[in-house]
Amino acid sequence: MARTSNKREFLVLALAVLVGLVLLPCLNAYTPADSSFHISTFTLSVYGKYLCYAVLAMGVNLLWGYTGLLSLGQCLFFALGGYAFGMHLMLLIGKLGQYKADIPDFMVFLEFAKKYPATGGLPPHWVPFKNLWFSLAAVVVVPAVVAAIFGWLAFRSRIKGVYFSILSQALTYAATLMFFRNDFTFGGNNGLTDFKVILGHGVNEPVTKRVLYILSGVLLLLVYLFCRWLASTKFGLIQQAIRDSENRVLFSGYSTAHFKLLVFVLAAVISGLGGALYVPQAGIINPSEMGPDKSLEAVVWCAVGGRGVLVGPILGAIGCNALKSYATHAYAEQWPYILGILFIFVTLFMPKGIVGLPGQLTGLKRKWLRRTAAADLESKRADKVVTP
Amino acid sequence: MCARRLFRCLVRWLTAFLAGGITLHGGLAERQALIAAILSEDGDAQVELVQKLVEAPDPVIDSTLTAWRGGSLYLHEAADGTKIPFLLSSSTDAEGRARALRLLDDQPIADEKGVALQLAPAEATAADTSSKLRKIIKTTLDLRAIRDPNPQSRRDAVTKLGQEQNVTYLPHFEARLATEKEPEVRRALEESIAQTQVASADGAVRVQAIKRLGEMHSIVSLNLLQTLEKEAKSQPDRYGKETVTALHDSILAIENYLRVGNLFGTAFRGLSLSAVLLVASLGLAITFGLMGVINMAHGEVMMVGAYAAFVTQNIFESWFGRSGRGFDCYFLVALAVAFVSAGLVGLLLERGIIRFLYKRPLESMLATWGVSLVLQQIFRHIFGAANVQVNSPSWMSGSFVVSDVLLAYNRIFVIGFAVFIVFATYLLLTRTSLGLQIRAVMQNRAMASALGVRTDRVNLMTFGYGSGLAGMAGACLSQIGNVGPGLGQNYIVDCFMIVVLGGVGNVAGTVSASLGVGVTDQILQPWLGAVMGKITVLAAIILFLQWRPAGLFVTRSRSLEG
Amino acid sequence: MNQPAKQFILTIEGVTKSFDGFKAINDLNFYMDEGELRVIIGPNGAGKSTMLDLITGRTRPDRGKVEFGRDTDLTALNEYQINRLGIGRKFQTPSVYVDHTVYNNILLSLEGSRSVWSTLFSRTTSEQRDRIQEVAKTIGLADRLEAKAGFLSHGQKQWLEIGMLLAQNPRLLLVDEPAAGMSDEETAKTGELLMSLAGKHSIIVIEHDMVFVRQIARTVTVLHQGSILCEGTVDEVQANERVIQVYLGRKKRGDTP
Repeated sequence: MARTSNKREFLVLALAVLVGLVLLPCLNAYTPADSSFHISTFTLSVYGKYLCYAVLAMGVNLLWGYTGLLSLGQCLFFALGGYAFGMHLMLLIGKLGQYKADIPDFMVFLEFAKKYPATGGLPPHWVPFKNLWFSLAAVVVVPAVVAAIFGWLAFRSRIKGVYFSILSQALTYAATLMFFRNDFTFGGNNGLTDFKVILGHGVNEPVTKRVLYILSGVLLLLVYLFCRWLASTKFGLIQQAIRDSENRVLFSGYSTAHFKLLVFVLAAVISGLGGALYVPQAGIINPSEMGPDKSLEAVVWCAVGGRGVLVGPILGAIGCNALKSYATHAYAEQWPYILGILFIFVTLFMPKGIVGLPGQLTGLKRKWLRRTAAADLESKRADKVVTP
Repeated sequence: MCARRLFRCLVRWLTAFLAGGITLHGGLAERQALIAAILSEDGDAQVELVQKLVEAPDPVIDSTLTAWRGGSLYLHEAADGTKIPFLLSSSTDAEGRARALRLLDDQPIADEKGVALQLAPAEATAADTSSKLRKIIKTTLDLRAIRDPNPQSRRDAVTKLGQEQNVTYLPHFEARLATEKEPEVRRALEESIAQTQVASADGAVRVQAIKRLGEMHSIVSLNLLQTLEKEAKSQPDRYGKETVTALHDSILAIENYLRVGNLFGTAFRGLSLSAVLLVASLGLAITFGLMGVINMAHGEVMMVGAYAAFVTQNIFESWFGRSGRGFDCYFLVALAVAFVSAGLVGLLLERGIIRFLYKRPLESMLATWGVSLVLQQIFRHIFGAANVQVNSPSWMSGSFVVSDVLLAYNRIFVIGFAVFIVFATYLLLTRTSLGLQIRAVMQNRAMASALGVRTDRVNLMTFGYGSGLAGMAGACLSQIGNVGPGLGQNYIVDCFMIVVLGGVGNVAGTVSASLGVGVTDQILQPWLGAVMGKITVLAAIILFLQWRPAGLFVTRSRSLEG
Repeated sequence: MNQPAKQFILTIEGVTKSFDGFKAINDLNFYMDEGELRVIIGPNGAGKSTMLDLITGRTRPDRGKVEFGRDTDLTALNEYQINRLGIGRKFQTPSVYVDHTVYNNILLSLEGSRSVWSTLFSRTTSEQRDRIQEVAKTIGLADRLEAKAGFLSHGQKQWLEIGMLLAQNPRLLLVDEPAAGMSDEETAKTGELLMSLAGKHSIIVIEHDMVFVRQIARTVTVLHQGSILCEGTVDEVQANERVIQVYLGRKKRGDTP
């Protein structure tokens, strides 16, 4: 049975890769714009963003679905990854900006030249981000370090359950407040935007968008495979054991704090990678991207798709965001209602999400059948009583 | 400030008008002196005449001088060529014309035909003034103000004149000091005398005055002393060493005094913020302790309370108008309305959603977050996205001053209210049967249930009560902060932190945690700014939990272990 | 107190622990030999479970020393470190991983490295598989290896938890009320299981069920108000005046109307 489900998974995966990573980009590149098969660059880029969100949701799932740690601050790491790469993109703008200066526009506007005269207005910690490799490393390292520090403090003192959720929310709230400040040197309210080039190509060129889309798809695939491998190891078993009975794990000689810390850092890195690819496709990263509400949304994608199952968050992230872009166009005013009711409905009626829906339905059907059978039996008995 | 002064002038004007008929004869000589001054052609003599008016008690002089300076005192040339000073009545006709009232006896001036003169301000000839004269009139008015019957106005006038450091005022100050009985005005007079003496050329007098100001902790002179210090440092020979040291000491004394005062002010603001947070998080802490459920919509329940206060205010306004005793009662009613409406929202929430999720605390956070989104949007639809205006009733606006620290009435009320709520909650938990049941369920749900406690009903009531408290907190917030659809979001993170810090379901823990968070937040704000202050508090909480993972006060309960 | 020259596996000396002023453990002295099966009884609130908490690092004593083997101070270590020394504990209510199969439950408990790294990259050896089979046979769950632990009966869960302890091959086993909620037959089987383990492992059993105690006990320790009231065979203990007074006596009075 395990083998057949493996085979089925492989087939679905292959199909998804074929459609997502080959067919869609080809339809974008090789069909004429007026063809009904054509996928516009804009649409492809939107899909690319969904894929990045799916990566973020995979991070949430690794924590919540597999380890039982509900982080309400996962978008912090997404945004940190995004900022780390966004800084590099900002520095690539160079003289193409409005002020035609060497430093990003907002630094000119905020008169950073007075504050950091030695570097011509560029804050010292921005300087190394001129280097692509440094900034790519930062995409991984910065979220990992932040997660490691917070996680170490939290898990060391055995903060768990609702407490952990609240503190992670407070963390991302505090970070949002910090990034909103202009003197925090990350563009304040407006964040980082108006990117012009990436690796020598214009950010808005169809080729660039296509490549970014494909990269997002590849990243999602790699994260999927990584999570799949992780779940198959003894580490994965321990993750789920922590979710079920943390004390038992602790009293079996495992240092649960270390396991949780590693999971937390891994999830942060995964989210950060998603954020890094998201930024060039969205064209902007600002503090609202790491707000507590965004993190909660990411949790809901996970819940809608089905947590504790690998494909759950992917389905959830893509589905919810497709719904969101449709709804915010069609019923902008009503979107908060839709989102709010989605939150309530899923937690109350679909605890296992879309993935768990078939099982839930068959369960209901079985129950219904049993009830009707019982009713039949009852009525037959009643008949017997009536007709002696 | 400016509006207040204007208002005071208006009042004086009005009283002058009303009292005009009565004081007419008693003040006839004064009025004649005033008219003589107005009509005087010789500049120097005119100045002298105006300055003499300082002593006259009749309030009509103030109004007239003010009008003169402002260009609204007019001259009517009678047929015989004599000039009659007059003012225009405050009641105008449709064309903006008003009766010309003679200054001498406030009677209307009649023209040749015996008809009362009706003039628009543009049609009348204003009495001449020069800028020098205007200045003299102003000083005269100010000097007259230190004899004003209202002590508040006297004090303000004295303080203002003291800032001018004009030696000619000294005799006036000293004369007044000899008769003045109001301690506040006396203090202001002494301050002003010292301030004036600071400008004195006599070194000994100057040093003495500077020392005196320092001893008095005269905040109003701080600026003046600091300016002088700069000057004295750049020209040491002119001022002498003693002046410089005296300045240094006095400035230090005043600054220290200010710092202490600021600290108290900050602590007071922190206390009132704590009070609101306390009322809000008490409900959260009790429900969390009882059910292990964190209600993410708790902030929106606060918002319901705040809007309930807004609606109550509007209803009272339509009944009683914008002021008066009727309107003033609205806030007490609003508190009750807020409690009931927020409590109802809480009951609905518990019945509709939360009771299905007791075993799944993490999911209940998500569902209640959904509720918070929906609630916010509903209120945005009904009341608009902008903040709404909630006015304080008159007995809650204003403040009283304790040694230069402003204590606003609304904040004092909020603090008192929080104390009352804590007390009430304590009584509820310890003296009523519901409280007994709540504590029983909190300690051992299964056992309580087995002993016949209807745990679901206890949950429901507790949730309703907790939400009601949040609603009242919202109503209080409407008095000291903005009311808008985002109100809940601004305070909810603080409330969560307090619950984490205070330990679950514990009144004493919640009280100390909210005091800690509120006061620390306010104390840090002036140094680090609002944002860094918040972040520091947050970091402090996380570090604190390293030391005591379960919060300040832990209720030892077997059900929480495992 | 004269300490015998013999080497104990567990030494508790002068330990006191209080919660909010309530002395749960009061100047407790307790010694146990290697390979011994010791039963601890005592009325509710006597401090039995707290004593296990102190040994396993769940709480720390206010005063006194808790030593394992020759000179390992347990009070300085935390739960997982103590477990790695070879002290396994079974909780009062069965705590197994309900979403994992019986096989995985035992796999996670097998003795061996507990480091994060090893869980990522080590593979299950055939020896380990054999060991799992062996443990499963000992606890009578050999035919349910692929069943989810959540679907087992209460008694089976209790056994599975004991099996998980066995898989760790601990030197000292702490078993808290293993017979609670079991049928008479299951209780008897549990007793046999524990007796067969004695000698290979040192075992402390906390129990209320006197029939069960009679079945397994060689030495019984009676705990009362946080310290030891008396120690001896079941008969000795049951004949002890003070024990009858505080524990059995009260029960008798309650029994006779």
